[in-house]
Amino acid sequence: MIETLLEPFAYEYMLRAIWVSALVGSVCAFLSCYLILKGWSLIGDALSHSIVPGVALAYILSLPYSLGAFFAGFIAAGSMVWIKKETRLKEDAIIGLVFTTFFAIGLLMFSINPIAVNIQAIILGNLLTISHQESVQILIISIICTLILIFNWKNFLAVFFDERHAKSIGIETTFYKILFFTLLSAATVAALQTVGACLVIAMVITPGATAYLLSDRFGKMISLSIVIGSISNALGTYLSFYMDANSGGLIVCIQTVLFITAFIFAPKHGMLKHRKKEVIHG
Amino acid sequence: MIKIDNVGFAYPNGQHALEGINAQVASGKICGLVGMNGAGKSTLFKLLTAHIKSKTGRIEIKGSSVKKALQQNLISYVPQSDEVDWDFPVLVKDVVMMGRYGHMGFMRRASKTDHEAVDNALERVNLIAFKDRQIGELSGGQKKRVFVARALAQGSEIILLDEPFTGIDIKTEDALIALFKALAAEGKLILVSTHNLGSVPSFCDEVMLINKTLLAHGPVETTFTQENLSKAFGGMLRHHHLVGDDLHDDEDARTLTVLSDDERPLVFYGEQGGQKITQPGNKDD
Repeated sequence: MIETLLEPFAYEYMLRAIWVSALVGSVCAFLSCYLILKGWSLIGDALSHSIVPGVALAYILSLPYSLGAFFAGFIAAGSMVWIKKETRLKEDAIIGLVFTTFFAIGLLMFSINPIAVNIQAIILGNLLTISHQESVQILIISIICTLILIFNWKNFLAVFFDERHAKSIGIETTFYKILFFTLLSAATVAALQTVGACLVIAMVITPGATAYLLSDRFGKMISLSIVIGSISNALGTYLSFYMDANSGGLIVCIQTVLFITAFIFAPKHGMLKHRKKEVIHG
Repeated sequence: MIKIDNVGFAYPNGQHALEGINAQVASGKICGLVGMNGAGKSTLFKLLTAHIKSKTGRIEIKGSSVKKALQQNLISYVPQSDEVDWDFPVLVKDVVMMGRYGHMGFMRRASKTDHEAVDNALERVNLIAFKDRQIGELSGGQKKRVFVARALAQGSEIILLDEPFTGIDIKTEDALIALFKALAAEGKLILVSTHNLGSVPSFCDEVMLINKTLLAHGPVETTFTQENLSKAFGGMLRHHHLVGDDLHDDEDARTLTVLSDDERPLVFYGEQGGQKITQPGNKDD
């Protein structure tokens, strides 16, 4: 029995997949706390799809994929800001317009160029076939993001909670907003490998949303979110070994199960608690 | 302490929000900022918190630029209630602690002094018992006081209050007014934008009437007159004019004028309708 349970750890590729996904999961979870509170969740989705053409271009030019992804993410974010400024269009329309365009360009580039990379790997993730070099890239990205977040989480909190106050105490709010989107792009690039472009959005929303139901204090919410993100990612990867299933799908399903559990049973903000309150008051 | 020198601001579409504002306000004063919606009150506040940059002129705070003044923690801003996300996962004490961020180091770690400042501020606004509540669980008046407490914890010399009396009961309003007066007596400069014309005479030392330009600025007694208010609001005020004949049958020629924006009305009572300003009671709420 125990032997069967430990079996995945005997394979180097499984071990690597597990720690990489846990790491990426925790960085994304950290960012998700900010993203969901600002109502910017869709921007995260847009970013993850927009980096696909960057990845394609990087493969064609044989540059590191993260460089291309990063660059494309930046252009996408920039064009969203620019269109918003120049037109009267609502934000959701602009986001929808930009990310589908970028995603389409990415697909076109992949289909026209006969390149070795499997397009499925970009869209669905390729966690189990991650190379040593790629895992080092992810490790570096994650460590840098985590350090920046740990040192600045309160500044980010001040900016996200009350921008004018943040400014009035001398915090450079524009700098922090740009920094946040830079971190988000970086984390998205890293997460692209693990769950793919389609499901990245879950990693930067679900853990934070779950933690939000469980806590009234931001610091605690971050810790909970990180625990949820890393454990569900590691567990999903681990289980995919036995189920012979797509690890990205499994990870996101586990996150959703945790969310539903919190949604129903959360001590203060859960559905059951709300029902009880209604019964008492009504 | 605040010196506004020929300040103007225009929106990107060229529409002027403020033009040629010249004013000086000294410390220890409560200055009311009165004008219609869109008259430029919020624009002026945004300039004072470096949210936007003026197109012309210059604002000096204690002799330095707004940006420098902000870095020295000289200015605190109390937002309107609808600007705040009340579902945010922060407790009352967390919000007040954010007022201390400017005094903390790089990682924003709170020292003993910071915790004491937070407790003192909360005690002053009478919220110490609520310090561990999530901010959405407070009443309207308590919500307002949290942000006043944040400004107190920040300890800045200038406090900007944006519509502090909207959505709160008269009791809280009176408590806040008492607090503002005490703060002014300690030498703070308080700038209040308000619709609440009726309370202006009861707590402001001076008043600025604006409508894109500065229409009048001076002590409440001489500046907050019916004539100036009519200039500031045009036909936008609810205006009730009761002359002596309507009021009583004797020879008394005094008239009663009630001016109201949308809150506590302002009442003028006297022979020319503008000689004497009397404070109405709290009956209207």
